[in-house]
Amino acid sequence: MDTILHKAGQSRTAPSDPVDPITTEVVRHALNSAANQMKRALVRTAFSPVIYEVLDFAVALYDRDVRLLAQAPSLPMFMGTLNFCVIEAVKGIGGVENLNEGDIIIYNWPYGTGSHPQDLAVVMPAFHEGELVGYAAIKGHWLDIAGKDPYCTDTVDVFQEGTIYPGVKIVEAGKMVDPIYRIILANSRVPKMIAGDLNAEIVGVRTGVRALLEVVARHGLADFTRAVEEMFDHGERVVRNYFAAIPDGTYTGSGVMDDNGVEPGQIPFDITVIVDGDAVRLDYSDAPPQQAGPINTPVPSTISTSRVAISMLAGMGEAPNEGHFRAIEVVTRPGTMFHPLPPAPCFLYGWPAVQAIEAVYQALSHAAPEIVPAMSGGCICSLVHWGTREKTGEPWADGAPHPVGQGAWKGHDGGTMLHISESATRFSPVEVWESRNPWLVECMELVPDSCGPGEWRGGMGVDFAFRMLEDTYVTTSVERTENGPWGLEGGVGGRANAVRIERADGSVESKPKATRIPMPKGDMLRLRTGGGGGYGAPSARAPEAVLADLEDGYITHDYARTHHPQVPLPDDES
Amino acid sequence: MATRIGVDIGGTFTDLIYYNETTGETVEGKVPTVPHAPEEGVIHAVQAHVPQHVIADAAYFLHGTTVGLNALLERRGAEVGLLATQGFRDVLEIRRGDRAEMYNLFWQQPPALVPRRRRLEVPGRVLGDGSVHAPVDEAATRDAIRALMAFKVDAIAVALINAWANPDHELLVERLIREEGFEGGISLSHRISGEYREYERTSTTVIDAFVRGRMSNYLRRLETRLRDLGFTGTALITRSGSGSMSFAEAEDRPFETIMSGPVGGAHGASEFARSLGIKALITADVGGTSFDTALILGGEPQVLYEGSIDGMPVQTTWVDVRSIGAGGGSLAHVDRGGLMRVGPQSAGAVPGPACYGKGGTQPALTDAAAYLGMLGPGQLASGITLDIAASTSALATVAKALGQDVETVATGVMRIAAAAMGGAMREVTVEQGLDPRGMTLLPFGGAGPLMACLLADDLGMTRIVMPPFAGNFSAWGLLGADRVQSSARTLVTDLDAQGLTRAQALLDTLLAELTDRGARPDKASPSARLDLRYKGQEHALSVDLPLDGTRIATDVDTILTTFAREYDKTFGGTLDEQVETVAVRATYTEALAKRQVRVPEPSPAPAEPASIDAHSFALGKRLPFAIIPRATIAGPTDGPCIVTETTSTLYVDAGWTIRPGTQGELILDRKEL
Repeated sequence: MDTILHKAGQSRTAPSDPVDPITTEVVRHALNSAANQMKRALVRTAFSPVIYEVLDFAVALYDRDVRLLAQAPSLPMFMGTLNFCVIEAVKGIGGVENLNEGDIIIYNWPYGTGSHPQDLAVVMPAFHEGELVGYAAIKGHWLDIAGKDPYCTDTVDVFQEGTIYPGVKIVEAGKMVDPIYRIILANSRVPKMIAGDLNAEIVGVRTGVRALLEVVARHGLADFTRAVEEMFDHGERVVRNYFAAIPDGTYTGSGVMDDNGVEPGQIPFDITVIVDGDAVRLDYSDAPPQQAGPINTPVPSTISTSRVAISMLAGMGEAPNEGHFRAIEVVTRPGTMFHPLPPAPCFLYGWPAVQAIEAVYQALSHAAPEIVPAMSGGCICSLVHWGTREKTGEPWADGAPHPVGQGAWKGHDGGTMLHISESATRFSPVEVWESRNPWLVECMELVPDSCGPGEWRGGMGVDFAFRMLEDTYVTTSVERTENGPWGLEGGVGGRANAVRIERADGSVESKPKATRIPMPKGDMLRLRTGGGGGYGAPSARAPEAVLADLEDGYITHDYARTHHPQVPLPDDES
Repeated sequence: MATRIGVDIGGTFTDLIYYNETTGETVEGKVPTVPHAPEEGVIHAVQAHVPQHVIADAAYFLHGTTVGLNALLERRGAEVGLLATQGFRDVLEIRRGDRAEMYNLFWQQPPALVPRRRRLEVPGRVLGDGSVHAPVDEAATRDAIRALMAFKVDAIAVALINAWANPDHELLVERLIREEGFEGGISLSHRISGEYREYERTSTTVIDAFVRGRMSNYLRRLETRLRDLGFTGTALITRSGSGSMSFAEAEDRPFETIMSGPVGGAHGASEFARSLGIKALITADVGGTSFDTALILGGEPQVLYEGSIDGMPVQTTWVDVRSIGAGGGSLAHVDRGGLMRVGPQSAGAVPGPACYGKGGTQPALTDAAAYLGMLGPGQLASGITLDIAASTSALATVAKALGQDVETVATGVMRIAAAAMGGAMREVTVEQGLDPRGMTLLPFGGAGPLMACLLADDLGMTRIVMPPFAGNFSAWGLLGADRVQSSARTLVTDLDAQGLTRAQALLDTLLAELTDRGARPDKASPSARLDLRYKGQEHALSVDLPLDGTRIATDVDTILTTFAREYDKTFGGTLDEQVETVAVRATYTEALAKRQVRVPEPSPAPAEPASIDAHSFALGKRLPFAIIPRATIAGPTDGPCIVTETTSTLYVDAGWTIRPGTQGELILDRKEL
């Protein structure tokens, strides 16, 4: 099929009519603050740890043309898809003419949201004096919506993945639509948590709409609109100035999936990045054909990935708005992994997307290696657990991403944190895990020698061990177990991710990507997350840095002797 | 015995104020800070400004200091060893996996306060319900303790998993540490915080161990010196979460004083807002080195239950004060890109701005102000006469590098500093969704009144209130810091009759612990809060728990009604779910007597009013500014003018009118230009 060109950002919709820069700045801060109020309301009223601890959601405000006004620090990958969610949710109810004050829509068709069905969008329009002026939107992960399993790595079509809500009003003119509400609760293994989270998201969008309308009222619609156009233009300049300084050219980076979830065999893919003046084009059209298993990334997430990769690099560390996306073009080919067609399964849509970010950085390293880091562990290292509590008979579920070693970059060793695609996300404290779930967490520690060697070394990988205190099911979704991260400029890769299950009888199984693994009481799940890639030749690493790493136990004598033979070690003298 | 002495140490000046409860007399003074021995500056200030009989008669010495904070920021604290549960030595470094700047691909986690080599393990495990899964392996623990002693650590922090639920293992480890002969400080996590979340609790415990020695030595030296001067009263230091504690308590719980410095100003502002009935007020405390700003709503500062310093969480109550490195001493320089920057480097107390004539050659913000005439003719409280020629030649070096004239550079320094300070003020207002334009600006600190009109214009504010003793206002605020002890502990249980009984039992325990820590129930009044949530949620709302003596004077239904009202107010709706308790918070407050500021009668105006050619930012040019001694202002006076008083100088731009208020304050209103 022919390729399709997508513009990642919308242009001006009002003529240039500048407002004073102080008003623009006040409006910008007020909108960010409105988004933050939304986030706070959601986090503080949510029922499931994936929302209040892991922050597996995005909240944002849009203008009436569905251009991104502001977002609160949350999940970047969701953020870049929310505009598509708003557009499709409104289409689902028959268009803007069917929108009324006080309506709230839910929507989760994966080809419109970009995600698996568990990521539900909740959208509320904002009316100022009877006129539609914008939207508040939240996309959050729901723990279970009656897919074949709460979390799946082996679906073969999208209908196995969960119940679909094709854009329906859950609240109509301020009143809960009871039949829809009951259908939602009937389609979940953990209805109580779902009810609590749905309520929290309704509180969240209402808070956002109220805060957005306050900003509009304070400045008047005309000044508000002019300030917003100014804000977008500023964002666009920031990104264009960045790319104007990068050498023009066509650069290629690559990723590789361990398998597609239902068939053996690695699946490599390439992404081409074309820098042309102050614009950048990300071309996914050479991607492999769409897969039989769920590693297909619907177009909204392919565009979101591109937005995240570029604005992280070129956005001056600030929260992006619609303007930041205007310099970005995305090319896809229908029928491929980055532009699958329904009903291809897409439960693991996020895993190719996560790797794509680093493939884009690898491509840009060919233009200028010092502008990007080497590769991280390359995965969000997700584990999802569920079961029925022994004492109470209550169903429970929990899930989290886990930190990986980050790639080194010129002048700096990598750290240990969650993957850049989840840069605001936190994983739960062990004490919170143990107070909610039937677990004994036996360790959470950095692992010697897991870091990629280099003049600047990669970040450390982490070992986790979860002992099940009651019978539990687990779905593991961990990529890059067969290919460790790459280094840059002579730097070497770090250790790859791994998942091991230790049975009570002493047997050990490797299960990095598997659904509904039975874990009877007493079994142990070990997650070993990858170390970051190094930057620059290991032979150039400063001796004092090698010795300090040795003393801190980040590396062993063997590692130091193998990778840094230039450094005399204390024990070598004896 | 009715005098209180307050001393606040800033980066540049040490400010003093004392207040006589009987006569209402208030006296202020200022001396340079002694950075290498801050207590010397305190003693200099007391010796220079407080008569011997007043020292001997004083009931309280109230103190605010950044000693602990600076030790942390500059990483000049104890060598700390950390004992953690086996398998969890890296909690401090792994943190929660997030980035403080989420859009910054190159964000780096701050280095852990304890390097990995000094983080060792204790085999043994407590579970979340408080039960013991595995006993402590004493032999292995002794090995770890000896290894830490071989590193010659000054202090040992012990932070074991689930110690909040059962402290027995930490207490055992403490005993083993002492048996091994370690004589340094020991910080146990369950004593620091009774709340769960191991990273946050470990971070707080390590910070406590890190600053403990330095704080304790400092407080002991200071107290000895005060006693030598004849002081016989009680010495108190302000807490990060407001109120004050005795020096002895502060030695035991130093982490509670980390943000002691900026709290004095927030206290004073709150007291002032209450007495004048100001609903919404933003503070602008401009010292020599830093700028602090806080929001005061309804006469109360904003209190958080967790703070953070330099990316490290601190699990304790916390007055929300934002600080940036910009003040009168901030130096102007040209960066590599050819742009002029102001701060964060500061001329500090030594050498100080060029115009102090103490050897400074780089231009500071004070030099720009002096050059522009904003400080009037230049007699400062600390006895310094401004050397305008020195300012001019310092500014000229930067002007030459930029190819600009000195006037442009000087006004640029002021504008850049005002924009940076304005950004911090937006954080506490606009970014909380609050419009500063209807609020009152309260400028204080040596350079606050100098910056006030620029800051108000930056945020579109039209009302400024300059408090009495503005130059020493933080010290004045200290004098009103009630003595407070507080403690909190996690208690997860349904809120029913039985739950309330458990809450009462825990409250009794907490109040008894506070008494052990030095609270005086005969003089102090207890108060309590209950953190509540709907069962299934994680986050809680804190509601006031009315007491009759130390007994909970309310019932389950009334608490539920209060909670539902607060929840509805905060989140716009309530749920049909069981409510559970999460934590009990107990406080003893020993109130100091209320103060009355004695307002002196205005003095007669000088026969020949002086004036100076100064820069007007409103009009963008120099024009004559009248120089008016503050004591002579009896009625409304139009700007432009420069108002002088002992410890600060007020710059009133064209377009502003000043008038005296009822409590010794000056009120500035913006007219339409």
